[in-house]
Amino acid sequence: MNGTRRDDMLARIREALGDRQRTPEAVEELEQRLTRPPTGPRPRLDADRLGQFVAKAEANLIKVERIASLQMLVPAVRVLLPSTSDAPDISVAPELEHLGWPSTWHVNFGAGRKIEPLSVTMAVAGIVETGSIILRSSPASPTTLNFLPDVHVVVLRTSDIVDYPEDVWARARSESEDWPRTVNIISSPSRTADVGGIIVRPAHGPKSVHLMLCDG
Amino acid sequence: MQTTNEDFSARASKALGDASLQQSVSNLKRGFVAARARAVAALPEYEAMRDAGAAIKDHTLDNLDFYLERYEREVVRLGGHVHWAADADEACRIVREICARAGAKTIVKGKSMVSEEIALNEALEADGLEVVESDAGEYIVQLAKEAPSHIVMPTVHKTTEDIADLFHEHHRAYGFTDRVTDAAELIGQVRTILRDKYFAADVGITGANFLVAETGSNIIVTNEGNGDLTSTLARVHIVTAGIEKVVPTLNDAAVLLRLLARSALGMEITSYTTLSTGPRRSGDLDGPEEYHVVLVDNGRSKMLAGAFRPMLRCIRCGACMNHCPVYLSVGGHAYGWVYPGPMGAVLTPMIARHEKASELPHACTLNGRCQQVCPVKIPLPDLLRRLRHEQWEAGFIKSKVRWGVGLWAWFATHPAVYRTATRLAAAVLGRLGKSNGRMRRLPLAGGWTAGRDMPAPQGTTFHAAWAKRNQQR
Repeated sequence: MNGTRRDDMLARIREALGDRQRTPEAVEELEQRLTRPPTGPRPRLDADRLGQFVAKAEANLIKVERIASLQMLVPAVRVLLPSTSDAPDISVAPELEHLGWPSTWHVNFGAGRKIEPLSVTMAVAGIVETGSIILRSSPASPTTLNFLPDVHVVVLRTSDIVDYPEDVWARARSESEDWPRTVNIISSPSRTADVGGIIVRPAHGPKSVHLMLCDG
Repeated sequence: MQTTNEDFSARASKALGDASLQQSVSNLKRGFVAARARAVAALPEYEAMRDAGAAIKDHTLDNLDFYLERYEREVVRLGGHVHWAADADEACRIVREICARAGAKTIVKGKSMVSEEIALNEALEADGLEVVESDAGEYIVQLAKEAPSHIVMPTVHKTTEDIADLFHEHHRAYGFTDRVTDAAELIGQVRTILRDKYFAADVGITGANFLVAETGSNIIVTNEGNGDLTSTLARVHIVTAGIEKVVPTLNDAAVLLRLLARSALGMEITSYTTLSTGPRRSGDLDGPEEYHVVLVDNGRSKMLAGAFRPMLRCIRCGACMNHCPVYLSVGGHAYGWVYPGPMGAVLTPMIARHEKASELPHACTLNGRCQQVCPVKIPLPDLLRRLRHEQWEAGFIKSKVRWGVGLWAWFATHPAVYRTATRLAAAVLGRLGKSNGRMRRLPLAGGWTAGRDMPAPQGTTFHAAWAKRNQQR
């Protein structure tokens, strides 16, 4: 059933295009375009790439902090916790489990929960053009941790900052044949203007995004 | 969704007298138009990007069969399913079948214009399913049982007070008994209610801004994060997308994304741009177990065949309506279907048939601003002119209008009579409107002047002024 529907639809599309046969050369050209994709015109960037990245991220209300190493992450997160007497209850991406989280905290090293005060995840790249952070799903990096928390803490190594999204695609292509299940480009906290055109933060996602820029 | 655009003129007249609507559309004009202008001015490469964007779309449409097959192959390779739907009924049936097989009760939806086009919510609700829109704007118009009035800002016609009343009526059931009027509190209620729905949903349905043949991914852009929770938390993720959404590669998508955010919102990029590719992988702790894509034709292959192919470049940014004097006067609902403004005036007759939308291509002053701001350079005025011509040929034009145009044609081909008549009219109207250069009322045109003033002629005709100018040289 699905087979004939599909074939009928493709036949209609080919008919609309004039039912011409593609020459082997034409097919080869299309294949080439897929394997070596051309790059379009892009905004020119400042000479100070790191400076531009931070400026763009901050302009989009991402809070940027520098930490000297991953070992400094736990103390940096501690500062962001609400000052209640209860033990902190947060979620941390499994890939950051080894960082020595205090045993007095309740830390969920799993997928995001319905009530999620704060989560900590690791970015695979940053983009200078827009000040965006890229996260990639994997067993050690659940996507829900990027959207369910009130406060989203993201760690990014300065060496993973690239100029354009095209650079991220190129790196991902070279790393694996299979494209990741989910790639998130996050450029600011969640917001909406659907009530009276007034900007409200957050809508469904995090109210604030803290980027921990880690040297190296 | 039912097309109700048989009586565009009636709804347009009503909209012109609606003060609250006039206020909201004028906000749109100030906000979006200025923001887009700033974003474009800040980017010297913008014109080159528009050319590149149009070229990418043309190349893809020219090879649409090839790229759709490649896209399908990649989705299937990574464990997803691709379904092909020739029309709205077929698309709804496919989604209903997936939901039935999943034993679904609750469905959460991200924003999808194609799902509005195929009237998916109505079809699913007829099966007894609970369907909840998750984009705050779509959620509000769903509660109000209305259609979106703008493709990017669905609630542009609603005031905060309207929304306060609506939530006060409907959110009691969730324990929100007080009427609140603060935008942040109102959105807070939506956030709380939807959080439960995301976790309860069996199926999450989203649209796609782009489908990528290279990787088998669908890309959605949002500012709220609703699309991401919709696609990640439900057990089944269904993507509904028109066949024209496919692009060859991620690099091509990057070009179009740069154009989209600037044209739609005047921003460099939206809060969230998300690429989803297939169901959850081995070891993943979240993500859907099933991933389906429904590719919808619904009149698009017909557009592909002829002069309307450039319309398939459309990336649904809404810039054409934000800059359209007609849209900004009458709002989105006057267009009577899911796609308003210039793009809607072309798409509606093409998708929902001519006879149902015969007035829309005429609701245009041919001023050309839509084409100037279109990020993929769709020649919207040309397409609208062509639609008018086709409607004339097909006999969809009312006899009164045919008679009027016939009369004008007779005048235009008899220059002596034409000049005498226009000289007389310009002199009379010029004297009538002498005091302030405008006329509040005009004999035989009461309907037209009810919503606007007629600028008074200078008292002489263009022909006379032209002749005088040439004499003076």
